[in-house]
Amino acid sequence: MLNYAFMQNALVVSVFISILCPCIGIFLVLRRYSMIGDTLSHASLAGVTIGLMTHQNPILGAFVFTSICGALIEFLRNYFKKYTDLILTIVLSLSVGVAITMISSGKLNANADSFMFGSILTVTEFDMIMVFILSVISVLALIFLYDQMIYIAYDEEAAQTAGVKVRLINYVFFVLVASAISVSIRIVGVLVLSSMIALPVATALQLGKGFKITLVCSILFSIIDIMLGLFISYYLNVAPGGFTALVSVAVLLLVLLAKKLGTNLKMWRSDQK
Amino acid sequence: MIQVENLSFSYTGSPPYVLNNVTFRIEDGTYVSVVGENGCGKSTLIRLILKFLKPTGGAIVSDAKRIGYVPQNNDFSNSSFPITVFEALNSYRRLLKLKSKDVIAQVLENVGMSGRENVLVGSLSGGQYQKILIARALMGRPDLLILDEPSTGVDRNSQQEIYGILKRNNTKDGVTIISVEHNLDAAIANSTLIYHLRDGRGHLCTPQHYIDEFLHLGGKEHA
Repeated sequence: MLNYAFMQNALVVSVFISILCPCIGIFLVLRRYSMIGDTLSHASLAGVTIGLMTHQNPILGAFVFTSICGALIEFLRNYFKKYTDLILTIVLSLSVGVAITMISSGKLNANADSFMFGSILTVTEFDMIMVFILSVISVLALIFLYDQMIYIAYDEEAAQTAGVKVRLINYVFFVLVASAISVSIRIVGVLVLSSMIALPVATALQLGKGFKITLVCSILFSIIDIMLGLFISYYLNVAPGGFTALVSVAVLLLVLLAKKLGTNLKMWRSDQK
Repeated sequence: MIQVENLSFSYTGSPPYVLNNVTFRIEDGTYVSVVGENGCGKSTLIRLILKFLKPTGGAIVSDAKRIGYVPQNNDFSNSSFPITVFEALNSYRRLLKLKSKDVIAQVLENVGMSGRENVLVGSLSGGQYQKILIARALMGRPDLLILDEPSTGVDRNSQQEIYGILKRNNTKDGVTIISVEHNLDAAIANSTLIYHLRDGRGHLCTPQHYIDEFLHLGGKEHA
């Protein structure tokens, strides 16, 4: 299986996805922004269609349009402070509206289906270069902004008191989210992309550890989810995105079960004493 | 020194004002408790001093170089945040650009929480968590410490410890303290001055003067 060039490309991109998505996802989940991941993954489909229509690279199109939508969410927070869900509905309407209009116009230069469901056959070398550049810049930005991002998620007012430029970093953060999504859509697909952002983090949170360990475990769970999803979907001849989402849910359930068993075992042992 | 001049604030930008033409001055090294009924603008006042909000009118002039802030400890959304005491303090240390990690051990010792570095903040009691928030606020060696109801959600013993920490840092290190208080006993026992807010206006007075006012009102005033 690994002799095929397309599979090698898919594997390389998957490694980038499994590192980048939980790095971004942990901040989205901890800020109760999981659904922003879902909204922006739909925005990325609109970006893909714009890219395909204008003869540009669809991943680049997705990155630019998703960044704009991310900035729009942050901007609209000024107007709908207590209605974050409403902001997401607005941006989702805009994104899906653009995507459906473009697709139904019949003027796309290629089929957008592979971006919806994810495909390992369509990863080109140019995509890989794009994925590599976006991933490296994003990870470096995350390392550089690590403390600021933790404090904005943990205690925004304390971050402000320490001189963190919260609004500016929020805009940068949405560009990073856009980057993670653009990197992932080729393999995972738009429809289940938010699962790659949120589920490995949800699984790692069950371990009840500190931030650094939770982040490392999120990456490990993400690697397990994507690799299992990729290999099994290859043999089952199904879309990797959908199957990766199923694996993610299965791993989460296993960890929940193991946690429950561990708690029961502890109680049983203390009863024995 | 903090000079508040004709300060007015409204969340809508127009009347009614939460704070209406408020003027006072706090000298360095003073421990001021801000008291008043619920909704009278106590928290708004400190949020204006912290520059979280912009005044609708008037100005606040402060020569404090380093400000520490202890938020109200009733936001339980943070209790599930996966972060240890060390991680929370260490990230904050780096935000303040403090080079030495020793400062973490120092502030934890200052609040009597040494040895708790590896505990998750979510597993701490209300009193312990409040001490960690105070430790964090003390990390940059602030000349002004602002607290929003420091005894909320804290048992009586921990309250005594917390006010002991505040009093010690005020008298020994000369840290100016502005504390929004619903705990009138603590305000009277610990403060140098009390800022009494009522109907959007306020005045500074001594604790004894405040007790006299309180009795004059027939004990109806409550924070």
